[in-house]
Amino acid sequence: MVSDSPAVAGSRLLSAGHSATARQAVMPDARRRLQLVLAAIWLLDGVLQYQSFMFGRGFSQMLASVAPGNPAVIADPINWAAKIVGEHPVPTNAAFATIQLLIGLGIACRRTIRPALAASIGWAVAVWWFGEGLGGILNGGASPVNGAPGAVIIYALLAVLLWPVAADEESRQPAFVAARPVGATAARVLWLVLWSSLAYFAVTAANRTAQGLHDMVAGMAGGEPGWLGALNRGAAAVLAHDGLAASIVLAILLGVVAVGVFLPLPLSRAAVGLAIVLALLIWVVGQDFGTILAGGATDPNSGLLLAVLAAAYWPASAAARRSPDSTEVRA
Amino acid sequence: MTPAWILDIFAAIMLVVAGISACRLLVTRPWAGQMPDADIDVAHILMGVAMAGMLATGLHTLPNSVWVVVFAVVTAWFAWRVAAEARSAGGAGALGAGHHVPHLIHGAAMIYMFVAVTGAAGSAAGAGMSDMGGMSGSMGTLRVPTIGFLFVLLMMGWAVLDLDQLSAAIWHSQPGERAPGISLPAGLRHRLAVAAGGGATLATAGTAPALPAAALAAPGVAADPVTDSVGAAESVAAASEPGTEVVADPAARFLTDERVVIGSRIAMSVTMALMLVLMI
Repeated sequence: MVSDSPAVAGSRLLSAGHSATARQAVMPDARRRLQLVLAAIWLLDGVLQYQSFMFGRGFSQMLASVAPGNPAVIADPINWAAKIVGEHPVPTNAAFATIQLLIGLGIACRRTIRPALAASIGWAVAVWWFGEGLGGILNGGASPVNGAPGAVIIYALLAVLLWPVAADEESRQPAFVAARPVGATAARVLWLVLWSSLAYFAVTAANRTAQGLHDMVAGMAGGEPGWLGALNRGAAAVLAHDGLAASIVLAILLGVVAVGVFLPLPLSRAAVGLAIVLALLIWVVGQDFGTILAGGATDPNSGLLLAVLAAAYWPASAAARRSPDSTEVRA
Repeated sequence: MTPAWILDIFAAIMLVVAGISACRLLVTRPWAGQMPDADIDVAHILMGVAMAGMLATGLHTLPNSVWVVVFAVVTAWFAWRVAAEARSAGGAGALGAGHHVPHLIHGAAMIYMFVAVTGAAGSAAGAGMSDMGGMSGSMGTLRVPTIGFLFVLLMMGWAVLDLDQLSAAIWHSQPGERAPGISLPAGLRHRLAVAAGGGATLATAGTAPALPAAALAAPGVAADPVTDSVGAAESVAAASEPGTEVVADPAARFLTDERVVIGSRIAMSVTMALMLVLMI
């Protein structure tokens, strides 16, 4: 034993504390990485909810605006919730923002991931109803470009598909990450339902008009940075007067994605890859990153979530399934 | 407008982070010995005070122009540290494993916020950003918001990664809860054992701290300022071997607890992301 001065001993411990941040050997596996992306998105939602206009009338008006066109059984609770938020904007919005922050932090923390994911499912379903009016799927305004079937319901779907499973289940390497908690067949059916619904929404009456897509994309340009507004205007020019053809092409591509996960490995990879490309294209050109750059966004919209979801369906190679990496950390 | 009390809470958190870093510097006395990460604590003090000044209504700190110069120096310093880290770790691909990258990002984000802000705060040349009325009043907005958005994404990413790594290690350190497939380095395991109060013999407060000869003689502890922290960590790890002893002052233990160290960084990332979003 050798004595050391308090300063030196303390400095060594401090070094140890700081260097704990060095990410050596603690590598999250694929599912954990996706869980962390979901956590980061929840955190982003939380800080977006703290924006100034959310504490005024703007937020309650935003809630109330999704009620029209929905059946009374859906619309009445939305109006009720909007009224409460309108009467008490500061405490309700502060609570909403804090809940979302805590969900994000809870998912990022391994000890609390299960309750946090469970809370995210409940919260997402509530917001899908009261905040998004079921994504507009019942009022005829839904489009894959404008965020149908509602960004927040994809949070719930991701929480289910990324749910941590028991240790003994970990030893079985599934065909893709999303298959771990529910099995490959159920996960593929969920994918089919989601993407085929997007294909359907792409060709609903409101979206297949000659100027439908053009107006939707061109309308995004206001308030956005110059480069993004220019991108919107360029895309809108391409779509001008060709809304029907563009909608049909989009529906076909979404349909291919929907059935793609049932195909053999190379084709299913191509389909999932196409899903990621389409999702990111919609997110950038059609949704302008959820209009975060223009201010007033409450979430990054559905494009980013669809891309994350698609990543959870990326088929693992046969070799990878035979030899799981034992050095990775799972949660 | 975002209520002032909410922003005051985040300002208070930033002041706590700055205070913890200041206490850590005082306790560990880097000027009297080896303390390779004192730069991180200095940066946290500066950022904590600057951010609190931006958030809180009544807190006036330095003029914007001074903060820009300060954080330019901080950012340049961490850029040098990151470059050295990359060289020693075998290239840019190893940057993700380094612990100076987030501080580089924090420093760059601070410069961006002070340079790009317009409106009430930006128009008051030379005035502190606290002049924006704690953001809840005449709030400034950021030029080139795309850069702000990229910083927000980086902050969120680092925050969740930090929390994941911290919780994985703490979880792993507790017997009976070992997750399948986890493989942590011995140094990290021991650091967490120390943080949790186990895995090492701890003397009472006031006892002269001691480290074993093997720990003090560990290579790399003082040789390389970049790898120093890892070397020191491993040397502390060596002290956890049976028959050895690690002694630490309770205050030092608290201040060097990983939950405190990394928690401070997470708080800073989240608060900085919040400020960027509020100003976009």
